[in-house]
Amino acid sequence: MSNARCLGPVRSGAAAIVVLAVVALAGCTTEDPEPTNGSGASDSPSDTAGSTSASPDATTAVEITFEGDQVTPSGERVEVAVGEPVELVVTADAPGELHVHSDPEQEIAYEEGTRSYLLQIDRPGVVEVESHDLGEVIVQLEAR
Amino acid sequence: MTPLDVVVDAHGIGGQSDLPIPLSLAIAGAVAALVVSFTVLVVAWQAPRWSSGVGEDADAGPEDAAEAGRSSRPSYVVAAARVLGMVLFLYTAATAVFGEDQLTNPFFGIVYVWWWVGLVFASALLGPVWRAISPMRTINLGLARISRGDPDRGVVEYPEWLGYWPAAVGLYTFVWMELVSESAVELGTVRLWCALYVAAMLIGGAVFGSRFYERADPFEVYSSLVGRLAPWQVVDGRVRARNPLAGLATTPPLPGLVAVVAVLFGSTAFDSFGESAYWVRTVQGAEELTKFQLDNLALLGFCVGAGALFAVGCALMGGAGSVPRSSFPRLLAHSIVPIVAGYIVAHYLTLFVDTGIQTLARASDPFGKGWDILGTASLAPTYWFSYHPSVLATIKVAAVVIGHVAAAVAAHDRAIGLLPRRHQITGQLPLLVVMVGYTAGGLYLLFNA
Repeated sequence: MSNARCLGPVRSGAAAIVVLAVVALAGCTTEDPEPTNGSGASDSPSDTAGSTSASPDATTAVEITFEGDQVTPSGERVEVAVGEPVELVVTADAPGELHVHSDPEQEIAYEEGTRSYLLQIDRPGVVEVESHDLGEVIVQLEAR
Repeated sequence: MTPLDVVVDAHGIGGQSDLPIPLSLAIAGAVAALVVSFTVLVVAWQAPRWSSGVGEDADAGPEDAAEAGRSSRPSYVVAAARVLGMVLFLYTAATAVFGEDQLTNPFFGIVYVWWWVGLVFASALLGPVWRAISPMRTINLGLARISRGDPDRGVVEYPEWLGYWPAAVGLYTFVWMELVSESAVELGTVRLWCALYVAAMLIGGAVFGSRFYERADPFEVYSSLVGRLAPWQVVDGRVRARNPLAGLATTPPLPGLVAVVAVLFGSTAFDSFGESAYWVRTVQGAEELTKFQLDNLALLGFCVGAGALFAVGCALMGGAGSVPRSSFPRLLAHSIVPIVAGYIVAHYLTLFVDTGIQTLARASDPFGKGWDILGTASLAPTYWFSYHPSVLATIKVAAVVIGHVAAAVAAHDRAIGLLPRRHQITGQLPLLVVMVGYTAGGLYLLFNA
C-alpha cells in the first residue's frame, strides 16, 4: 500500500494544540484507504501524542466522499484509539471544510480531489466530524 | 490556528461528549433497579412515614414551612443571597447586551451550564437556591418597597387551577431553545428567551404577587422541586438535618406537577437520544422531514411519552380508597424527582464540571477584550472524568440507580397511604413497572450515547 506517504508540515499553529494535531498530507493521494492496511506508524507524526496503550499499527482510516450536496458516510460511529492518528481520506468535487468538534474545535480545509488528512484525539470521548455547509454529521469518532 | 470556538454553529455548548457506558454496567444497573424495587415493595414499612400530600398534611405543607424558614433565617444570610443573585443577574445581562455573538462569550455557559445545570446541583445540596437568590423576586421586592406595597400580594390571587402549568410551559420553551432550535448558541436567541423570561416574571409578580414565582417561575419550580432532596432545612432559624425523602414528600401536589416532571425527564432523555448515532443517521437520512421538524416531534414525543407513561401507571393502580383516583398522578409525581435528579447527574456531570470551569475562565473576559477581571482567565478544565471513563461510567450508573431506589421508596410511602389495604402491594405494581421502564430507558440511552 502507500506506505511511503509524504507528510506535509504540521499546519501552522496546530501543533500548539495538545488535544488535537491536524496534519495535511499535502499532495498525497491515497488509492486504497482500507482501514486494515494502515501500517503507517513509522511515518505518522504521532510523537506529539501522549499515547500509551494502543497498538502503533492501529491507524484507522475513514473514507469521506463529497458529491454535490451529499456526503458519505452520514452519522456513522467509528471507534478509534486515543492518541493514535486517524486518517481521513477525503474525496471531494469541490473544496470545503470539515469541523472537528473536539475541545477546542478544529477545522480541516479540504481541496478538490482525493487527499488524506491526519487527526488525533488525545482524550477519550465522542468527537463529531461535521460539514457545516451541509449541516450534517459525517462521522462520530468514539475514541477510547 | 483557527480556533473554531469563534464559529457559532448548530452544535450547542460543549464539544467532545462522554463515551457511552459499557453494556455490562448498564445491565447491572437495570437489574439492581428491578431487584431493589420489588424488595422495597415487599419488605418496606406498611404504614406511611412521611407527609401524605392530602388533607391536613397538605395544608401544613411545604410552602408554609418554607415561609417560616425564610422569615426566621438570619437576615444577613437572606440579604447576602439576594445581593449574590443580583450581581450574577447584572453581570449576565451585561454579557448578553455588550458581549460578542461567539461561544467565547460567557453568556452561553452561564445560561446553559451554570443556570440550567448548576442550579440543579446546588439545589440538591443546599435546598431551594433560586428562591433565595432569584433576582426576579429581589426586583419585585424592591418595587414593592418603593410603592409601599406588599410583595406577596398582587392585584389578583394566583388561580389555584393554574398550579405549575406556567412553569411546565416555561421549562419546555427553554429545553426547546437548547435542544431543538437551530440557533441555540446564537446570542440573539438566548437573549430573547431571557428577556421574555424577565418580562414574564416581573409582570407576573406585579399581578399575582410572589406566589407567582413559587408556581410559575420555571427556574424556581425546578430548583425548589430538587431542593426538597437537600439533606437539611432551616427550621426556626436553625439548620437541621432531614431525610431527603421526607423533604420530597412535602412537594405540593398541584396541577401541572406531572407536566413539570415529564418535561424535565423527557427533555434530558431526548438530549441523550439526540446525540446517538441512531438519531443522527435517521435525521440525516430522512427525505420527507427536516432535522428541525424531526427534533420538534421527538422532543415533544419524549416529554408527552414520559408523562403519559406515568399517568397510565397511576391509572392502573388498584382500587382507590378515600382519595379520588384522578388525583393519583399529582400525588405521586414527586416520586419521579429523584429519577430526574439521578439522570441529570449522569447526563450533565462532565458538562457541569468541565464547561462550568471553562465558563468561569471566559467570565473573566466578558466582552472579548482580553481582560482578566476575575483572575480566572487561565483556568482550564482538566477533563479528569474523560480520562477515567470507568470511574465516570460507574458514577453515572450509581446516580441513576440511587435515584431509582429513592423514587421507589418515595412512591411506596405515598402509595400505601392512598391505596386500600388489600391493594397495598399489588396496587403499586404498575407504577413500579413504569419506574423500572424509566430507569432502564435512561441506562439504555447512556449506553447508546
